[in-house]
Amino acid sequence: MKNKVLMGLAAIAMVAFLSSCGKVPQAKVDATNAAITAAQTAEAAVYVPAEFTAVQDSMKAINAAIEVQKSKLFKKFGPIELKLDATLAQAQKVATDAVAKKEEVKKEVETTMAAVKTTMEENATLMKKAPRGKEGAAVLEAMKTDMAAIEASVAEAQAAYDKGTFMDALNKIKAASEKATGINTELKDAIEKVKGKGKAVAPAAKPAAKPAVKK
Amino acid sequence: MRKIWRGVLIFSAIAVSIPLFVLILIHFTPKPPTAKMEHARAILSQAEKNQADTYSKKLFTEAKIFYDSAMANWHNENKRFIYFRHYDKVGTFADLSVKRASQATDNSISTSSNLKVKLKQKIESLDALVVQIDDLFNTYPLTSEIRNRISKGKILLKEAEIVYNKGQYLQANRKLTDAEYLLTESYEYASANLKNYFKSYSVWKKWVDRTLIDSKNNKDYSIIIDKFSRKCFIYLSGSKKYEFDAELGKNWVGDKRTRGDMATPEGMYKIAKKFDGGKTKYYKALLLDYPNEEDVQKFKAEIERGSLPASARIGGLIEIHGNGGKGIDWTEGCIALTDKEMDMIFKIVRVGTPVTIIGSMAELKDVVDK
Repeated sequence: MKNKVLMGLAAIAMVAFLSSCGKVPQAKVDATNAAITAAQTAEAAVYVPAEFTAVQDSMKAINAAIEVQKSKLFKKFGPIELKLDATLAQAQKVATDAVAKKEEVKKEVETTMAAVKTTMEENATLMKKAPRGKEGAAVLEAMKTDMAAIEASVAEAQAAYDKGTFMDALNKIKAASEKATGINTELKDAIEKVKGKGKAVAPAAKPAAKPAVKK
Repeated sequence: MRKIWRGVLIFSAIAVSIPLFVLILIHFTPKPPTAKMEHARAILSQAEKNQADTYSKKLFTEAKIFYDSAMANWHNENKRFIYFRHYDKVGTFADLSVKRASQATDNSISTSSNLKVKLKQKIESLDALVVQIDDLFNTYPLTSEIRNRISKGKILLKEAEIVYNKGQYLQANRKLTDAEYLLTESYEYASANLKNYFKSYSVWKKWVDRTLIDSKNNKDYSIIIDKFSRKCFIYLSGSKKYEFDAELGKNWVGDKRTRGDMATPEGMYKIAKKFDGGKTKYYKALLLDYPNEEDVQKFKAEIERGSLPASARIGGLIEIHGNGGKGIDWTEGCIALTDKEMDMIFKIVRVGTPVTIIGSMAELKDVVDK
């Protein structure tokens, strides 16, 4: 009888021992979660969305793997720790990549913005040289309104840039750039066409002095 | 000796029974739905890759909530004593998550693909609208507000195309909606204005017909000014002899109503005086008999109706003059031709030559088709 009791106690002690061995690597879990949060703060979801989703997926898999081990009688967290190390490194890389991509987008906005401004200045000069033949001046008037809209769009892109929403700024400035380039091409083509025909380019004629008469 | 054998027997029994006991313990350990959870995670990830979080937000959110509930339930069950754990709910939540995530994926794929097609069509139709606006209204005197709206609409359309090409369909849709509003509204306003203007077409036609019959019967020159095509036609004996480009008042659409409205009048007039040399600032000029009796009656009626203020004054001194060729409607209501054309026209017309000014010789349908 005494032996049976002893055997029972030994078995329980063994189960308790075996089931309690292996602890969740909480410090690594916390560190990885912190790295993912840092990546999120670095706007990884905006600038490197695929990489960020991948790291989130990895963490979800790790959380499930932890629960799998916790469900077992004999727990083994060694492989999970290795996965945590890899995911931590992945999250840190994602954060770094997001910062780099953001900087790249920022630079692209700056470059495109400078290019648009140059094109707009050139357009203003070309406007003065553009032929004002039949309907030409009327088309130039319409172009002037388009150029004012482009300038407003550049200002909106600048505001988005100042706010740090570089992707939005990039979309806006690219649209402005395409429009400004379109006008530039149109103006150059018109000037070239007139040169090709050997016609003199009319100056930006102003309406004649207003007569002091009723109209 | 018997004691030794008894000890060996006990040891052997323990050695066999302990692993057996452990195996029994393992066997009866409740099994979590690991495969189901893995499947749920894979399906959820697939849904996210298919942008279900954007295009099927409700279903995707539900799928995520079910997955999180499964995880939370699993976590809580694992806190209990190993043989008291029940993973049924974990499995149920995982199944629900799979179901919702699958629906979200299907929904997202179909929504995004339908949206993609719809947006492509919308971009194409708005591009065509922009071409139509440019063709019809580039030289039409629209208000600066309408012109600004058209320009803003064009930029938004371009932005929409850029985000569309990046696959950001919802953002493209928002921008297209704004662009469509600005462009369509402007086009409708301008079209209504144009249609309204062309309501006078039957009257213009009568004037033209009468002018041509008179020219034929009198074997004389007549001038017809077509404002919409900006043309000045010279007829002799009812046949067209010359055609010049004409420039009009800045606000040429519609009849002239009052002094200073920058409109070119519409009606049947005659040349009242011919000016050249130092008598005109515009090289050479043909003064018309505007306002005629009909114009005066119309003006008075407008004052009486109150559609013009009592202080309004009727315009006058409308001429066909030189200094044209600027390519823009710049006059205050007169018709400008180039000096060379004025030289030519000045020789053949006389005081009394009919000058008929109309909105258009072509019908609106033909103008739009052209």
